[in-house]
This record gives sequence, structure tokens and C-alpha cells, in this order.
Amino acid sequence: MLQKLTQWSRLKSPWILHLNTGACNACDIEVVAALTPRFDVERFGILLEGTPRHADVIICTGPATRQMKDRLIRVYEQAPDPKFVMAVGACAMSGCVYRGAYNILGGIDQLIPVDVYVPGCPIRPDALIEGVVKLLDKIKQGTR
Amino acid sequence: MNDQALIAKINEGLKDKVVAITSPAPRRIFFKVTTDNLLTAVSWLRQELGITHLSTISGVDLGQSFELLYHFANNYCAITLRAEIPRDQPVLPSICEVIPGAILYERELQDMFGIVVQNIPDGRPLVLPDDWPAGNYPLRKDWKYERPPEVIPGGKS
Repeated sequence: MLQKLTQWSRLKSPWILHLNTGACNACDIEVVAALTPRFDVERFGILLEGTPRHADVIICTGPATRQMKDRLIRVYEQAPDPKFVMAVGACAMSGCVYRGAYNILGGIDQLIPVDVYVPGCPIRPDALIEGVVKLLDKIKQGTR
Repeated sequence: MNDQALIAKINEGLKDKVVAITSPAPRRIFFKVTTDNLLTAVSWLRQELGITHLSTISGVDLGQSFELLYHFANNYCAITLRAEIPRDQPVLPSICEVIPGAILYERELQDMFGIVVQNIPDGRPLVLPDDWPAGNYPLRKDWKYERPPEVIPGGKS
């Protein structure tokens, strides 16, 4: 019963943490655009949280830089289980144009497990919303 | 004030401290000094010409030596001060006592080229990651970077 309730609340209102691991800010602007009234994902219950301790979904933008390595892992460990990670933008998926630079380790998936990849440079807010919907489908089906 | 008058003024003010002076384009002046006279030249530029804006310091790896270019600018033109230091003894005087804002560029020079800046007020690393191994200077031409192998989560499909 309680499990059903938590699952229902998780699906109906995923709380997200927006984390920039070294992006150029284009993806961050688009993530914020998805939250503001034009696209308004808050009507689906998606709420931006300021701390990983309250978040279900970590939205990572930007490649994994060497400086962010320990910090990214710490933020991931701070989020309560079950936690889900979305790699948003081409940089977070593979490193994109920064790939191979001496201070870049590659995509987010080199450091923490990733559930959903959202491609785009930068992503469109529509793509982000579709990514969240696909993540929720995965949670509903129990494949994650 | 035009370029020729400015060149004459620099030659007159710094006399034999100027090694070479050129003006390859209008409102653009390059002149070279030795590292011993660097601080004198910068303070002269500030006091006599009133140039307080240091745009940036750029470094070039020439193989046997490093060349540092101090890009100054005022309302009329851009003046670039060049200094060359040998590669096996990369020591440079700090210009922070004349231009305090230069500290960021000097700390970056220390990080990226391994140049030792003398009398720098605060010589901590600036741009490289915290866990960067010592003795690696990315902007030196002979520095090679070995990229760590990437893992594909879940393996290749």
C-alpha cells in the first residue's frame, strides 16, 4: 500500500535537481526555459529543488570535467534512493566538442550511471519534457 | 597623438631599454624589453602615458624560449610589451605592484607554462583542476596528453 503510494507520488511529481558539471550555459538556459511559464513543466508536478537531498531526478548538463569529478559523485551520493540521472545535451552524453581535452573525462556516464540521454546542442525544452516522460515510463514499467 | 609621435615618446622615455619597436598596423604598437626592465617599462607606461588597462598577458612557446606579450590599451591604441625568457630558466618578475589586476594572468601563466613569477602576492594555482599532477603544463608544445580510456556503460551494442 505504502509502496504503491510512493510510486504514485514519484510518477506524478518528480522533483528535479539541475546540476551544471561544466556546460557552456546554453543547456542550462533551456532547462530553465522548460520550467518557466512558456512550457511550464510545473503543471505536471515537476518541481525544481535546490538540494540533492530532496531530489528524485538529477538533470546533468555539460561534460564531466576533472574538477567536477568528486563533486558530481558526492552530489549523486547525497540524493536519496531511488535516484535517476538524466544526461542533458550532447556534452553530457559524450563530451561533444570538449571530448579529448585534458580537463574533460567524457560524458556524465563515465562517472555515474545514467538513465536517460537527451540529445541536442543545446536541447530544446520539448526534448527535455519528452526525456522526463520517457524516464517516468521507465519507472512505471519497473525497468529502472 | 599619432603612432609616430607615440613611438618617439616611448623611445625617448625608455631610451636604451627598448630592444625593438614596431608598428605593423595603425594604432598598434609592439615593443620589446628585457625581463630586467619589464617592471620599469610597465610603471613608465602607467605614469607617463596613463595606461592602466592591461587587457591580458599571452604566452607563446617558441621552442627554446617563451615569449610573453603584455597587451595594454588606452583610448587611442593598443600597446603590446614583449618579453622573452629562456625555456630552461623560466623566471619572470611580477608586475602586480604596478598593475594589481595582473595577478590572475600571472597565476594562469604559472599554471599553463610553468613559469615562475617572482614576488607574486599570491601564487596559488588558478585554472587547472585541484588534483592536477605537478609538472604538467598544458600549453607547452612538448606536453603530450594521454587520454584515459572511456568506458561504454552496458558495453557496445
